[in-house]
Amino acid sequence: MRGISTIGAKALMLAVSLFSLQAFGHTIEGGDASFVEAIDGPAIGPFIYLGAKHMVTGYDHLLFLLGVIFFLYRPKHVVQYVTLFAIGHSITLLLGVLANLQVNAYFIDAIIGLSVVYKAFENIDGFKRVFGFQPNTKVAVFVFGLFHGLGLATKLQEFDLSENGLVTNIISFNIGVEIGQILALSAVFLILSVWRKSSSYIRHSFITNTALMTGGFLLAGFQFSAYLFQPPF
Amino acid sequence: MAEIDNNSPPSSKNILIASAISFVVALLVLFSFILPAEFGSDPLGTGELFGLNVLGLEENPFEEQLNIHKTDTVEFILGPFESVEYKYLLDMDSSMLFSWVADGDLYYDMHAEPAGLGEEYAESFEQGNGDSRMGSFHAPFTGIHGWFWENRSLSTITLQLYSSGFYVNSTVFRDGGSYERELQTVID
Repeated sequence: MRGISTIGAKALMLAVSLFSLQAFGHTIEGGDASFVEAIDGPAIGPFIYLGAKHMVTGYDHLLFLLGVIFFLYRPKHVVQYVTLFAIGHSITLLLGVLANLQVNAYFIDAIIGLSVVYKAFENIDGFKRVFGFQPNTKVAVFVFGLFHGLGLATKLQEFDLSENGLVTNIISFNIGVEIGQILALSAVFLILSVWRKSSSYIRHSFITNTALMTGGFLLAGFQFSAYLFQPPF
Repeated sequence: MAEIDNNSPPSSKNILIASAISFVVALLVLFSFILPAEFGSDPLGTGELFGLNVLGLEENPFEEQLNIHKTDTVEFILGPFESVEYKYLLDMDSSMLFSWVADGDLYYDMHAEPAGLGEEYAESFEQGNGDSRMGSFHAPFTGIHGWFWENRSLSTITLQLYSSGFYVNSTVFRDGGSYERELQTVID
């Protein structure tokens, strides 16, 4: 039995790492992009949908959230932490787009990748055992939320969003992001609840979080490479 | 390397080793697969080895076209409530540039029909009312691509279309009938 669960853990390690590869194409593309560029005026429904879609397909955001709720068992605590994250990313999403904050998207996305590394490192007790102190977890989630929100903002800033209806659309997008977050988290929480019934959850939490850390390094590495390879203009 | 002892919590050393392995694995995957496939960089030669370099080739701003470059000028005179359809036969991914101008407002619908399929499969790209429009067009599928213009006023309107592109030929649809036009190549 132990052999099987170890193989399972290794498979998961590979899966989580490869999973994070799909986060690479994480911009708004194709038909959605044409829509966002062409829209003039408020479009509440579409922007809510786009926000939700962006979050559900945003593996960098989801991996971070997975790390956050990994050791949160009570729904009340999940809600607390996720709300902190949501407040953080809402602030910077709204500010970023409305105040047109100029930040390098690759740089921010690399930090988002590192936020996954941070959370995974915290989950394997890294801070307490290696550095002897544990930064406030809630504050960290909020602060990383601010960075995630900036990342969301940069994706929208790539478009010349029409001033007409901008506030309505951004708030709608934000609402969509929260809806997407709730949907994705519910699914993750359900899966975790099932897995948590097995004793292998805690036994393999070390290797699982190491896999998560690898995913985070991959994300950050990809974004950093994109930053280095970007065209000079 | 120390065995992962499942009976006691990980030591500081275990944590650091795990983090280091994590970092190194990510770096390896990045250099071996991501760099060649996404950025056209192959420092370890793995891009060549796994055939990933083809993925990393940058999009060429120059698009090879399969058809010869042609140009076209056509004029339509539309009496009150008359309409006309004018379509170019374009292969998928062929492009063209166009400008049309009229001496009065017309209802227009820029749309296309995939080759071999009927009107029900037609896709509309832009509809509106106006006396002029210009743009570039990239055929999403092989078929006939063009416009429906309708004069919804009581005066006669003259419409001129100028275009240049990699179309094959064009067809005028008018009064229930149609006829093909042969178009001039830019170079012989």
